Amino acid sequence: MNKEPIVQVRNIGMSFGATRALDDVDFNFYPGELLALVGANGAGKSTLIKIICGYHSGYEGKIIIDNKEVDLNSPKEAYDYGIQTVHQIINQGVIQTMTVAENLALEEMLSPDQPILYNYPAIRKRALEIAALMDLDYLDMDAPVFSIPQSDRQMISIARALASNPKLLILDEPTSSISEKEAERLFSTLLKLRDSGVSIVYVSHRLHEITRLADRVGVLRDGKVAGELLKPFSVNNIVHAMVGDIEQEAIKKEDVKSNKNVVKLELKDLVVQEGKPPLNLKIYEGEVVGLTGLIGAGKSELASVLFGVEKPISGKMYVNGELYEPQNIRTAINKGIFMIPEDRNNNAVFSEFSIRQNINMPFLDMFTNKLSIMNTKKEKIEAKRMIQAMTVKCESEESPILSLSGGNQQKVIVARWLMTESNLVILDEPFQGVDVKSRSEIGQYLRKNIGKGTALVIATDLDEVIDISDRVIVFNHGVMVGEQEAGEINKDQLIHLTSQTLEEILN
Amino acid sequence: MGKLNITDFSIKWGFLIVMGVLFTMFSILEPAFISAGNLFNILLSVCIFGTMALGETFVLITDGMDLSIGSTAALSVMISAYLMVVLELGGLVTILLVLGIGVVVGLFISFLIVKVKIPDLLATLGMMFLVQGLQYIPSGGLSIGRGAIIKNGREAMGHFSEGFKYLGQGRILKVIPVPVIIMLGVAIIVYIILSKTKFGRIFYAIGGNPEAARLVGVNVNKYKVIAYVSSSFIASLAGILLAARVGRGDVGSQGTLLMDAIGAALIGFAVLGARKPNPFGTIVGAIFIGMLMNGLTMLSMQYFWQDFIKGSVLVAALAFTFGISKKHG
Repeated sequence: MNKEPIVQVRNIGMSFGATRALDDVDFNFYPGELLALVGANGAGKSTLIKIICGYHSGYEGKIIIDNKEVDLNSPKEAYDYGIQTVHQIINQGVIQTMTVAENLALEEMLSPDQPILYNYPAIRKRALEIAALMDLDYLDMDAPVFSIPQSDRQMISIARALASNPKLLILDEPTSSISEKEAERLFSTLLKLRDSGVSIVYVSHRLHEITRLADRVGVLRDGKVAGELLKPFSVNNIVHAMVGDIEQEAIKKEDVKSNKNVVKLELKDLVVQEGKPPLNLKIYEGEVVGLTGLIGAGKSELASVLFGVEKPISGKMYVNGELYEPQNIRTAINKGIFMIPEDRNNNAVFSEFSIRQNINMPFLDMFTNKLSIMNTKKEKIEAKRMIQAMTVKCESEESPILSLSGGNQQKVIVARWLMTESNLVILDEPFQGVDVKSRSEIGQYLRKNIGKGTALVIATDLDEVIDISDRVIVFNHGVMVGEQEAGEINKDQLIHLTSQTLEEILN
Repeated sequence: MGKLNITDFSIKWGFLIVMGVLFTMFSILEPAFISAGNLFNILLSVCIFGTMALGETFVLITDGMDLSIGSTAALSVMISAYLMVVLELGGLVTILLVLGIGVVVGLFISFLIVKVKIPDLLATLGMMFLVQGLQYIPSGGLSIGRGAIIKNGREAMGHFSEGFKYLGQGRILKVIPVPVIIMLGVAIIVYIILSKTKFGRIFYAIGGNPEAARLVGVNVNKYKVIAYVSSSFIASLAGILLAARVGRGDVGSQGTLLMDAIGAALIGFAVLGARKPNPFGTIVGAIFIGMLMNGLTMLSMQYFWQDFIKGSVLVAALAFTFGISKKHG
């Protein structure tokens, strides 16, 4: 790579209060190169990106664009230098009440050069051009964005970023909520862009994507550059650079032996989505079952029914041989069916609460006397026990949960439901935005402590489920299309099963 | 680091320090200010809206807002007078019926919010007008006192019972006003519920993240109903205290009660850097408003300045709480 870098960052540092988020970070971003930026949660990836896209103005160090030192104080300035960013939080990238066309052509629409009278047909025409960049022609241009799936919203943000011909394109976890097919489309577009000379920074926890796409991998650890890897790299050496000298072996499965004689949960002819074939499934004592499939395969729908959020259309469920008909979430919990929901920030974390208060939230009755007065001492003891068991890195159980890194927050949320015995713990995308080390610790703890209960781990990422499960089940278009025991996992076949079309399944 | 600590310190103690400075200033400029009699006057002047503010605190914690409490208190004043003066019922029966009406108002508000799904601000705004209008109907728009001529031309012969009036006018040991004791009693109960029981934890959880609360098994709607019913119930209690103090049923007695109550609860955000609704802050906020009005009046501030100053204090306290904490976070 003899070319001149488009953007250079030199000795970048940033502190938030007492926390040193970034320290002395140097990177060069070259045209026609895809640099993957990796690191555990809290390593400083997001902070670095936010500095480069002008969001944080109080940084230390220098940013050099086209050999000129610049001072980035606002996203607008970064944008004017040709830096485009697709942020992780999808709904910050789109305006929900506007149509797909308006969102695609947002920049043109809000441009001061627009005529005073709103010309929707012209916006729509431009939107169609932008949609073509990512093959989004299937979208209904006139539908409001709140009515379309998350994955399509993400695709809109990406298409819009591409439309402005950026010099440096930054993508922060772009595949975290899109399907594998959409991801493939994104990848081929990115590679085309790269070949046309754009510099791309790609942030992801999904290391397999990175080994396929990246020309170079930059690793951040604890706010510092922990290494730069050049091709060829493997998942193992990336992980090694990210987490240091921790053994990254697969989670040991000898810890627990599931007991195939005792059926814990049984689904009989269960239909959770209109018009889908009935589902029959037995989960055995001590078993961790992984459920995978693309977005829209019907995984979350099953979880909702198990957890009493939705009623099944037909069929029966049995827990320990007894008929199980949850009326609401509370009755599910009382039956020992727990769920750790997807999207930690919106669905699980009480951001104003301490770690203790977050852990104890589902089972307050464990800590009350007859007058419903909370016994704080007892609460602290339990919270401490769970913090130690789950190796949550924190000052004390009274620290605010927001003082923790993402992976440690997730440990707290998991701890919330592993405090008491259960019949079934459902974990819906438990490793989204969780670093490799935390993921392995959560997995180990879950397997060790599942006891006579069971767990259902739902994840789109195949590796996540394979690592943790005794048995992997694949859903596709609402149909259970395959099942493999831990000893006989054939990854190629699993990938094939998840990506079949509806016609292929039905034949 | 030094700068940071000053920020932390002022977020936590700033409001109480300002309050202490004002207190000292008033005491020096006007020695009568710190006489026991005057200090009880201050408490007496805040106990009606202070009590209402404690009820509002429940609603604010669940991230709602109840704009109808002033009207509910005023309705309670009129109903109390109507029951005792016109219908000649006893004090105790009157109290129970009026509190019952408070509960009914709260249930109706909850119905609008939880079942009909009207946004809380709009539902309680509508109910504010509805309930305000309701107070005029029994007496045909007239105030009710002994000897008043009511709609059918009959003279009202009943009167406020002595026991009822004691709630508003009585003094324990001839010094401490009964309504002040009632306000402090309500404050203690609300404090215990909100910070010591599981219900308080659940209220705060709902206010922080309703979806997460639902997913740990909380019946969010049930707790919203409890919050609005508590708020209306306490507002009707405050109405009883007001009726007992004036000893008659004046129309339009809501006055500035709503704004004072919400102001006290919101000023409470700034006390001890809580940044969230809390009963201790609410009471301190109420006393702050009372102290300021009393002190400035003693220093011959003219009455028409009152609302302006109360509003300024509220805006300043909110700016302090949210402005500093935002930069901080």
